[in-house]
Amino acid sequence: MAVNLKRSSGEDSDGGKTSRRRMLGWLTGAGLAGSAGLSAVSNFVFIKPRATYGQPQRFSVGKPEDFPSGTRAILPARGICIVREGAKLAAISIICTHLGCTVGAADTGFACPCHGSRFDQDGNVTGGPAPRPLPWFQVTLAPNGEIEVDKDIEIVPGSYLSL
Amino acid sequence: MSPATPPKASFLTALTDLPKNVWKSIFRNPLPSNDLERSSTSFTNFFLHIHPVKVHKNSLRPAYTLGLGLISFFLFVILIVTGILLMFYYVPSTTQAYDRMLDLRGSVAFGTLLRNMHRWGAHGMVAVVFMHLCRVFFTGSYKKPREFNWVVGVILFLLTLFMSFTGYLLPWDQLAFWAITVGTAIAGYAPVIGKDIQFLLMGGTSVGQEALLRFYVLHVAVLPAVLTLAIAIHFWRIRKDGGLSRAEDADPVVSLEAAPVEKASVLEPKKTYGFQGLVRGPLPKVGQIPDNTVYSWPNLFLAELFTFVVTLSAILVLSLLFNAPLEEPVNALHPPNPAKAPWYFLGLQEMVSYSAFWGGIGVPGIFVLLLLGTPYMDRSTKGVGKWFSRDRLLANTIFITFVVANIIFVIIGTFFRGANWAFVTPW
Repeated sequence: MAVNLKRSSGEDSDGGKTSRRRMLGWLTGAGLAGSAGLSAVSNFVFIKPRATYGQPQRFSVGKPEDFPSGTRAILPARGICIVREGAKLAAISIICTHLGCTVGAADTGFACPCHGSRFDQDGNVTGGPAPRPLPWFQVTLAPNGEIEVDKDIEIVPGSYLSL
Repeated sequence: MSPATPPKASFLTALTDLPKNVWKSIFRNPLPSNDLERSSTSFTNFFLHIHPVKVHKNSLRPAYTLGLGLISFFLFVILIVTGILLMFYYVPSTTQAYDRMLDLRGSVAFGTLLRNMHRWGAHGMVAVVFMHLCRVFFTGSYKKPREFNWVVGVILFLLTLFMSFTGYLLPWDQLAFWAITVGTAIAGYAPVIGKDIQFLLMGGTSVGQEALLRFYVLHVAVLPAVLTLAIAIHFWRIRKDGGLSRAEDADPVVSLEAAPVEKASVLEPKKTYGFQGLVRGPLPKVGQIPDNTVYSWPNLFLAELFTFVVTLSAILVLSLLFNAPLEEPVNALHPPNPAKAPWYFLGLQEMVSYSAFWGGIGVPGIFVLLLLGTPYMDRSTKGVGKWFSRDRLLANTIFITFVVANIIFVIIGTFFRGANWAFVTPW
């Protein structure tokens, strides 16, 4: 016992051996903390879904004839409003840029029932807390003559598809 | 004849003594009739040993605590019991959840009552936990050595809000759907990690089946487990921090100076000294100062039983009188107009209607940080244990300002907001 005590105290007073022991302690601690961190991260990786079950972002909405000039057709299931003026056609989002409610048609454009954001006919913010105008999505004419909307591609507001 | 002869143990006496022996094997003590038995009952019973054997009279003053902490805990117990019962009939599926709500109403025995109790209990818990937080603030009880327990308490308050938030998606009605759509969008405004949190919460890009399942798991497993653990730490620390806070003058002033230690030295054997010569503080002066504590049995336990009965009765009466609302089933295409959150989030919704970031993240975040930091910023030890102490005029004024501002926002959101969140007058 006494010998052990003396030996260990001898080690403690010896700079090199103490630092080796401390180093091993640090390595052990770092290893355990790292493993814990990795486990936590992998839990988050696990609960982050790789596949989601949503609607397709790119879809067809019908023939140009379905939307005569002057139409402002809200397609709630698609989350867009199809606007047709003469030979020009566009798709404007109806998902409020504030907190994701679905905006409704109002006399002056669009109005959000959740927090009172208001937008004009082109989706520009005219009142309320919405931070950005309603985005416009890319509209193309598919070879089969149907209008195709791609919600993954936002375009400059005011740019129409010419028919 | 040895004096230790055991009594004759016949099979018959074993049989006749069976109930008594079983009882005695479970309960180590008779119903207490003296102080020793009162102590040992508190000490040896699993459910009672979380209590101290003796409790300060100040902790039992209803006017001091208003029983708010206990009421919060009992509401949590009621919510766990009713929640587990409701789980027997609930399915977290977008096609079934709402029908199951109707089934609870129509074809499950006590279904309406249990859902009402769960709903009103949840509302009650949010309100009472907040009032408890106010009580602790106004009596200065967060001060040293209770700083960290205050932090645990603030976390418990946030967990309570999150519990309620995850709970109200589950009926899958219009309120549920749009409140969660808005709530997760608010989380999306958090800097840097906001969008990831939003995606993780919803399990996708919009509120649907994945979100319902996730909120269900959070509501019935993750959050109750975390909440239970935090409550255990909260209670444990109450004991370790010396019981409930009380004013300095709640105990008679005694000298904190130790008896002169040097005289207790073994080198001076003429006098003998006990502990009091060696330990610091007033502890050894037992019997010399008036004792301000009473035995937990029966004083504390009766107070707790009384609080529990009153809490349960109140929830029962509310649930018999008022039915928990259930709106139309989810229509993901048409938000109700106006789309309103439950009353305790209407202050937040009102603030969000000015600015999503500042109303939903900035201001609430600063408020929570201030709450968490309160005991570390206010280091004065004055004014503990007294409601609205004059020494705490500044701190109390700031706190009341925050509380009143929030109440005003809640009132505006509840009564003064109509279609499209436009300002309306309720009369």
